[in-house]
Amino acid sequence: MIDKIVSFFDEAVADIEDGATVHFGGFVSPWNSPSYLVGAVARQGATELTAISTSMGRGPTNARNQTPWLPDELVPTDFWDIGLLAQLGRIKKGIASFSVGARRDLVYPFEERLAAGEVELELLGQGSLAERIRSARAGIAAFYTPVGPGTAVAEGKELRDFDGVLHVLETALHADFALIRAYQGDRHGNLVFRGARTFNETMAGAATVTIAEVDEIVELGGLAPDRIHTPGVYVQRVVERPATPTTSWEQPS
Amino acid sequence: MTPASGASSAESQPEHLHPTVMARVVARDLRDGDVVNLGVGLPLECVNVLPEGREILLHSELGLVGFGPVITDHTEADPYVTMVGNLPVRAQPGTSFMSHDESFAMIRGGHIDVAVLGGLQVDQDGNLANTQFEGKPAGNLGGAPDLAYGAKQTVVLMRHTTHDGSPKILKRCTLPLTTPTCVDRIVTDVAVMDIEAGRIVLREVAPGWTPDSVQAITEARLDIASDVREIVL
Repeated sequence: MIDKIVSFFDEAVADIEDGATVHFGGFVSPWNSPSYLVGAVARQGATELTAISTSMGRGPTNARNQTPWLPDELVPTDFWDIGLLAQLGRIKKGIASFSVGARRDLVYPFEERLAAGEVELELLGQGSLAERIRSARAGIAAFYTPVGPGTAVAEGKELRDFDGVLHVLETALHADFALIRAYQGDRHGNLVFRGARTFNETMAGAATVTIAEVDEIVELGGLAPDRIHTPGVYVQRVVERPATPTTSWEQPS
Repeated sequence: MTPASGASSAESQPEHLHPTVMARVVARDLRDGDVVNLGVGLPLECVNVLPEGREILLHSELGLVGFGPVITDHTEADPYVTMVGNLPVRAQPGTSFMSHDESFAMIRGGHIDVAVLGGLQVDQDGNLANTQFEGKPAGNLGGAPDLAYGAKQTVVLMRHTTHDGSPKILKRCTLPLTTPTCVDRIVTDVAVMDIEAGRIVLREVAPGWTPDSVQAITEARLDIASDVREIVL
């Protein structure tokens, strides 16, 4: 019998080793970020991580600013992004599209470590980042994109002319683990998302082990086949978020 | 046709357009049926000033297209439905969701009609720099490289000068480039300009401004369109 359901986040991330390469899904919102998986990695202690994510995160103190349209009492208490891992010094290298705060007075943990020379950064646009990850899932080694030539992103990479347009060769980004967030999942790992599916759908299957943090686990058959966004084949583990939100990443879940 | 800002007396400094008015200048020219992506910063001002009577499909890079205006009353918001800037927006008839890779296939593949992006510098060759902030160890590229390349029209919506008055419209960008030769139009708080084959054509000036007073705060040389006129909404 296939049963990919894992009861606890701590159990789901237990085998992430030091030096691992990890995809972090979502788009820095409490409703599309794999917060509990991030918290569990922080508790687990794996370090020297290469983190692949659209953003290197804001860190625990700035996370609440993500939802200024909500009254304080309604801002989720259980939102942590990978800025937490940067703050704890667990990240060796980031591969991302957003690396710093967009204003001078917004300084995020990864940015502080970058300024101190403690971390490496590979910065690239979201389109090339997404396609490099999708390629890993699809078994494509590399692809040529017209986006990048003439900018720092293309430095040191192979260029090639197609029909008079310069393209740059971008390689697939495979990871050891992909930590993603979905709305519903079943024991086969089938997933349904709500709203924009962000990097969550893109990263599913682009790693040796894909772990989905879901709002709700449903019975097999509970997801209509025509409505499944990510087939379970791409997913190795499914963990349900707690019914009562925790208030600290340090709390086991 | 109404003036773009209140009357400015001859004695005072010409007024700079308010961000909402700048956004309305961009929105004014969007066509019925256009697929439009709005970048973070000033371009987001366009969301709630779209012209009535035209169906404009807004695209946001995290994976949604055809959504409605930003919701300000949180009791009406579905927090799962947000655009860039993490702003809640309305899913409405015709809205669709997708992944990041699909969203950028749409962008890179040339399916977006207009990208409205913020800018730090634009030069006369249409090079765009909007990545690296002063005093930061690195920058943010976001979706701008793909949008600026892939959209059929790239509009940069930005203030004409920096906060300390330095020009942002240059002969050649000095900051790291986001995308080379991609900008078609620049809309600022004082003017509307088009970039055509290595020259910047001044099309419209804000009320109280003249081609000369716009040129005075622009490093690149401006070609004055023969029919240059005051901005009207």
